[in-house]
Amino acid sequence: MNEIIIAILRSGTPLIYVTLAGVIAQRAGVWNLGLEGLMIIGACATIVGIMLTNSILAAILIAIVICVLASILLWFVIDRLKANPIIAGLGLTGLGIGGTALAVQSIFGSQASVTAPFGIPKLGPAFGAYGVLSISVAAMPFVVFGMWVLLRRTRFGLRLAACGEHPFAARSVGANPSRMRLVALSIGGVLCAIGGAELAAGSLQFFAQGMTAGRGFMAFAAVIFGASHPVGATFAALFFAVVGALGIRAQLMFGDKIPHDLLQALPYLATVFGVWLSGKLRGGTKAASSFAELKDQ
Amino acid sequence: MKDSLTTVVRSLIFVAFALILCALVFQFAGYNALTMLWAVADGAFLRSGAIEQSLRWALPLFITAVGVGISFRAGFFNIGAQGQFYVGAICAAFAAEAFKGGPAFLVIPALLISGMLGGALWALWPGLLRLRSGTDEVITTLMGNFMAGLLLVYVTSGPLKDPSGSGQQASSRPLDAAYRISDSLGLSPTIIAIAAAVGILMWLLVNRTAFGVLASLAGRNGTMVEWQGARLWKLGLSSFLISGALAGLAGTIEFMGPNGRIASGFLPAHGFTAILIALVANLSVLGTAAAAVFFGGLASAALYLPIMAGLPAAAIDIINAAIALFITARSKLVDRVLRFGGRPS
Repeated sequence: MNEIIIAILRSGTPLIYVTLAGVIAQRAGVWNLGLEGLMIIGACATIVGIMLTNSILAAILIAIVICVLASILLWFVIDRLKANPIIAGLGLTGLGIGGTALAVQSIFGSQASVTAPFGIPKLGPAFGAYGVLSISVAAMPFVVFGMWVLLRRTRFGLRLAACGEHPFAARSVGANPSRMRLVALSIGGVLCAIGGAELAAGSLQFFAQGMTAGRGFMAFAAVIFGASHPVGATFAALFFAVVGALGIRAQLMFGDKIPHDLLQALPYLATVFGVWLSGKLRGGTKAASSFAELKDQ
Repeated sequence: MKDSLTTVVRSLIFVAFALILCALVFQFAGYNALTMLWAVADGAFLRSGAIEQSLRWALPLFITAVGVGISFRAGFFNIGAQGQFYVGAICAAFAAEAFKGGPAFLVIPALLISGMLGGALWALWPGLLRLRSGTDEVITTLMGNFMAGLLLVYVTSGPLKDPSGSGQQASSRPLDAAYRISDSLGLSPTIIAIAAAVGILMWLLVNRTAFGVLASLAGRNGTMVEWQGARLWKLGLSSFLISGALAGLAGTIEFMGPNGRIASGFLPAHGFTAILIALVANLSVLGTAAAAVFFGGLASAALYLPIMAGLPAAAIDIINAAIALFITARSKLVDRVLRFGGRPS
């Protein structure tokens, strides 16, 4: 039982950090499909940072700085240049995946993956079987709670939601929606960096090209599934992690009967189900409804 | 006319902007940016035989991109072209096994049709989810891409596995030479004819039929179309199916033409590039053809870059991503420059 919970926490924690980044962007009214790219940038920067500075703290700081800069670029393109957020987000994702591949290749030669000597510190033997988990797993519930307080119980959070839902009304009481989006995306950049760091340096200590494998998009789906509420989205992300862990479990048990490539598709299938269910419960979302405006130029 | 010219110029400005940005990034990463840009131009269009190679990549991309344009026009953000491309190729590969030994003039059309059906099938379920229960198609089609990728891994290492194949990449048994529609260079009269037929049919569909007009209206204002008596869900589902079928057709062409087999994870950037092509072309069919040649050139240059400029092929992915980042942008500055001397806005 313990090992299943450990497996779920290991695969769920990076997803939850990135999901929270999606939640705050969503509440500010930005559909952030760049999460995947930000996450892989965070993962790569952490591992490269460890190799260069020999310090985990410095490595995570480097990852945070780069992810925040990338988020600001996304904000600039969406907010200042009025680009379509979905296409721009996919572009950022492509930049992240291609850019990290290029960076690894140019820094370490033609290696497909880079292994770091150490990762994020572990909880240690004091926590028994759970001592193998990294400290960012233990910090996760507090970050979720902090996010809930920030978004639901502070003046800033309410203004952010107002800017996301009705920018015009928010402006009339003196809020600046554009700046709010910048702040939200920057906080999201920090969270994506931590999520990426946890993915690459939490239990694995290596970076491989394309290692996020759609986790950023899954986090985005968790935002939708969880009604862009920090706690709801966290549970949605945990649900995906549970399905993933069960898939791995099933591979071990029925690996000879069900092809494991198809079991690997379970989290993606669960994501489709989650988005379908949230659409059923609350009516459809409308990401693409305004897309045809492009042609009216 | 002036307006469409403005649109084209705006697209080109942002493409150029993205290229400059990439050149700076590569310079910063320690590569010679000028060598790189020259290698791209040389590999795409200038070297002898480069145009043929660019067209080889451009034709399947054009077919997928026209389909993407049709669903975007109708207001549906079907970004699952990659998955539909894969499932189309998989279905054609299974059909090739089933029809083995039949006469080529029957088998070849049958394979093309099964590929289109496969692609349409992979667009059907996101379409139904979207139109019946309002499930956002951005996420379902995206997840469909990942699932199709895994399905391809499974098929090429399971039911269709080539036992003689070795190495890291699992691939299917090769298609009989009799059913191939081109050699490995990938440019043949058959493929050109298919692409031309798709282009003409889709141009007619978009510009000369009630469906095309209504679908474009539905993308702008669905309610109005309903008031005019059209069935919104019928229009929507058809545009999903057409875009899926065309992506599946492109996958089938890659299977029956240049590749001759399907391999796990082949052409992973096809769908994304096709979306870019549709957007650069501002969703017009003619523009799509022009943009496809440009991006086909980039795809062809990707094979040439490692040799010429010492750059990894990922460089082309970065260029594409940078174009994606900026292509839908509308800068007031650019607009002001474009309107200079033109009509007041």
